[in-house]
Amino acid sequence: MTTSIAPKASYLKDQEALGKRLVEKYGPGRKVEFDKLNEPVIWAKTPEDAKLLFRTFMLDDAFKMDFLSDITAYDNKDGEDGEKRFVLVYQQYSTTKHVRVRIKCLLDESEPALTLTDIFLAANWLEREVFDMYGVTFTGHPNLRRILMDERFTGHPLRKEYPIKQREPFNDNIGFHLGANPMEINTNITEGSEN
Amino acid sequence: MAVKTQDSTQKDFYNPNVLINLGPSHPAMHGTLRVMCRVNGETIEDANCEIGYLHRAIEKLGEDKTYHQWMVYTDRLNYCSALNNNIAYAMAVENIMSISVTERCMYIRVMCMELSRIIDHIICVAINALDLGAMTVFWLLYQWREEAYTMIESMCGMRLTTTYARIGGMSYDLPDTLNERLWKFCEEFPRALDEVEGLLTSNRIWIDRTRGVGIISKEDALKFSITGPCLRASGVDHDLRRDRPYYIYPDLDFDVVVGSNGDVYDRYLVRLEEMRQSVRILKQVNQKMPSGPLWTTDKRVLIPEKLEVYSKMEVLIHHFKIFMEGIDVPKGEAFTCVEGPNGELGFYVVSRGGPKAWRMRVKSPSFMLFQAFEASVKGGKIPDAVAHLGSVNIIAGELDR
Repeated sequence: MTTSIAPKASYLKDQEALGKRLVEKYGPGRKVEFDKLNEPVIWAKTPEDAKLLFRTFMLDDAFKMDFLSDITAYDNKDGEDGEKRFVLVYQQYSTTKHVRVRIKCLLDESEPALTLTDIFLAANWLEREVFDMYGVTFTGHPNLRRILMDERFTGHPLRKEYPIKQREPFNDNIGFHLGANPMEINTNITEGSEN
Repeated sequence: MAVKTQDSTQKDFYNPNVLINLGPSHPAMHGTLRVMCRVNGETIEDANCEIGYLHRAIEKLGEDKTYHQWMVYTDRLNYCSALNNNIAYAMAVENIMSISVTERCMYIRVMCMELSRIIDHIICVAINALDLGAMTVFWLLYQWREEAYTMIESMCGMRLTTTYARIGGMSYDLPDTLNERLWKFCEEFPRALDEVEGLLTSNRIWIDRTRGVGIISKEDALKFSITGPCLRASGVDHDLRRDRPYYIYPDLDFDVVVGSNGDVYDRYLVRLEEMRQSVRILKQVNQKMPSGPLWTTDKRVLIPEKLEVYSKMEVLIHHFKIFMEGIDVPKGEAFTCVEGPNGELGFYVVSRGGPKAWRMRVKSPSFMLFQAFEASVKGGKIPDAVAHLGSVNIIAGELDR
């Protein structure tokens, strides 16, 4: 296989060992694949299982997957990866062994996933982005709002059925707010109150 | 005259809850960022960041354009180091197609990535100093940024949005004059860094404004998934160039710079030293630059020579197919990361065959950095927030995609 990875990279040995361990220890009952960079991809059975796997990999003795690289999702509208609509993807990384593992989980349109915000603070915005782009909800998320799109926006732009040229212009900013702790703000100040 | 107010908290001068809105268009905001804060006196007690003002649906476009067409959009992610994005993206597609580029191409790419790292760090350090009132640093460093941009212009004809890389190679070979020019840069630029160091590193005002300001602790940095110079400034020894080496990095001699406190001052020191290390890499690359072919021989991606396109029918057809239909990428996926100037820049490409990606995910370092900024700015003062924001180098194009 020819890739951009340097052939003498020392983490490649660990990556192979990790792949073996995943197949042996966590493989039964779950599907384990290898991607084009020979990195393991493990399919969780349910959203609960995905979070459980995430926690287990964090505590795994041989490979402490102590770093959350990314949370994202993709549309599975053509059904190539399974029956359900979306695929939720966790990218996990080990800062000691420098190997990656990808946890994938199939989700139905209305099926909520579990939040990782209680483990990683970084999951907060990442999950908000997934919610914004795909409409996947996360149970237990402290502040699940849109992040990139405007709050008044309708639809979820990265779903395959969303037309690329559909626009929703707003001619003003979102009003002032303080995120998770909204605050009543009275903007209706009477004129002359400066005196 | 009777004072008529409906809300007494709005007009009381000694109000502990004053609301301040910074941005989205503000001179101290780097790009279209918006921070809304509740201040008590000068202390920020609560802050919320609103992002998305520069959202251009780049990920959606990645599913709509062919792999080749999408290259120009990568320039607009982190527009301060466009070369780095170009190359990381080309690398991601090549990984899915199992193509490895030629040795000369690898050297050129590493050279480009280090050059753009220097540019990005120059911008960060210079603007951070400018925000805090040290204008001389800005003049000193921006001259070298210009020189670096002129070198890039001589390579690919563009300065800011380069689109230099192609899947399987680079759009142009290096010009003959570059070698000499790069040597001069490598010799003289560190002197400018010495000068900057003389101006800032032991400057009382600079230290007072930056040390202990905007601290992101080691634990917080890991919890917030921060990568790159900001993570290293917090004391985590992590660099993808060394830990997950790609291309020719194992053959090169460089040190990973690690700080300890995770404050603005440490981030400045880490960036300054990283520029020196990049110069070190540039010198080695310039010395070892091999001759040989620039393009891979893989027919699926090889863009034919222009002269042949105009004279041979088969080559014309091949050229037409590459540009009108796009390259056929096999089914599969990969998450390719490089050590960008701001941190781990990842492209997660899911291909289901054909010339367009099924999912094009850009994992940008700025996203995580801004999230950490929102949390760590609380408890500080407003001028400290400006110093903090300058030091983490958030690029709105990459943040909002």
